[in-house]
Amino acid sequence: MEVTVELVGEGERTVSVPADADYAAVVRELGYSPHEVTVLVDGSPVPEDAPVDADHVRVLRLIAGG
Amino acid sequence: MSDLSLDATQLDRYSRHIILDDVGPEGQKRLLEGSALVVGAGGLGAPVIQYLAAAGVGRLGIVDDDVVERSNLQRQVIHRDADVGRPKAESAEEFVADLNPDIEVEAMERRIAPEEARNLVADYDVVVDCTDNFPTRYMLNDACQIEGVPLCHGAIYKFEGQITTLSPDGPCYRCLFPEAPEPGTVPDCATTGVLGVLPGTVGCLQATEAVKVLLGLGETLTGRLLFYDARELSFETVPYQRNPDCPVCGDDGIDDLAGVDYDGGCGVASD
Repeated sequence: MEVTVELVGEGERTVSVPADADYAAVVRELGYSPHEVTVLVDGSPVPEDAPVDADHVRVLRLIAGG
Repeated sequence: MSDLSLDATQLDRYSRHIILDDVGPEGQKRLLEGSALVVGAGGLGAPVIQYLAAAGVGRLGIVDDDVVERSNLQRQVIHRDADVGRPKAESAEEFVADLNPDIEVEAMERRIAPEEARNLVADYDVVVDCTDNFPTRYMLNDACQIEGVPLCHGAIYKFEGQITTLSPDGPCYRCLFPEAPEPGTVPDCATTGVLGVLPGTVGCLQATEAVKVLLGLGETLTGRLLFYDARELSFETVPYQRNPDCPVCGDDGIDDLAGVDYDGGCGVASD
């Protein structure tokens, strides 16, 4: 299946993942570890091990610096 | 409340606030009677402390367990070359005293412990998160949510920043980032570098939010995360919602910090 990903700060792109993929697979397709980001669907985070059931997600990176 | 409660020096010092619609003498009095806890006196904390002190926020708590290093001076603008080796909290306190004698400063040279976090944040009207580590960031979020204290969050990385305001009646940091990353998986400024002026921009936005909270003015970033890219000079707003299942601010949220493992992934123990 194809998922449109809006990676905050880096623009939008489309990734292809298997039909039974979880959100962690989407994140890995982007080149990130699930530890580094949160995946938002309609403004709420979804568990990384949940099966993908949205065709549009927003991915926000965690940043640490202060 | 009248402008007679401000003395002549204060009327002069804060004149641009006093003549400003929506602030005025009443707003300035509110700032002078207000308090803010700034956690971290580094890149973000420096502009926050500078602007809150200049604005006349009457009582500032400053927490930092670190000392000034020369490599800090490229961005931590309240510290000077002569401050290298001094505790940042002490250097910040001296900066505020030189800038504005109206301000009472409580400098705390330590890292906040879970046992004291709730009482500490409850003693202030607003808390500003200028930390550089996830355990303290999650602890502040949790303590502020439990105590009902607004928290102005900021974070930076290389050329980008994130700012949001966590209000007692809005979503919290865990609604956006449910758990802290594994230690070492998210790089910090010391390993990747950071544009020196970046924390100035982000910290000023945090200070703006803190002043608005104290004044009860405008719309804060509650439920919105502002993403700033210095390379493109662009801003992007990311809306987010309260999670009813959030272990902190959700329907069955915690009411103390005892069950949270801040030394690990900041996970909240379930009942």
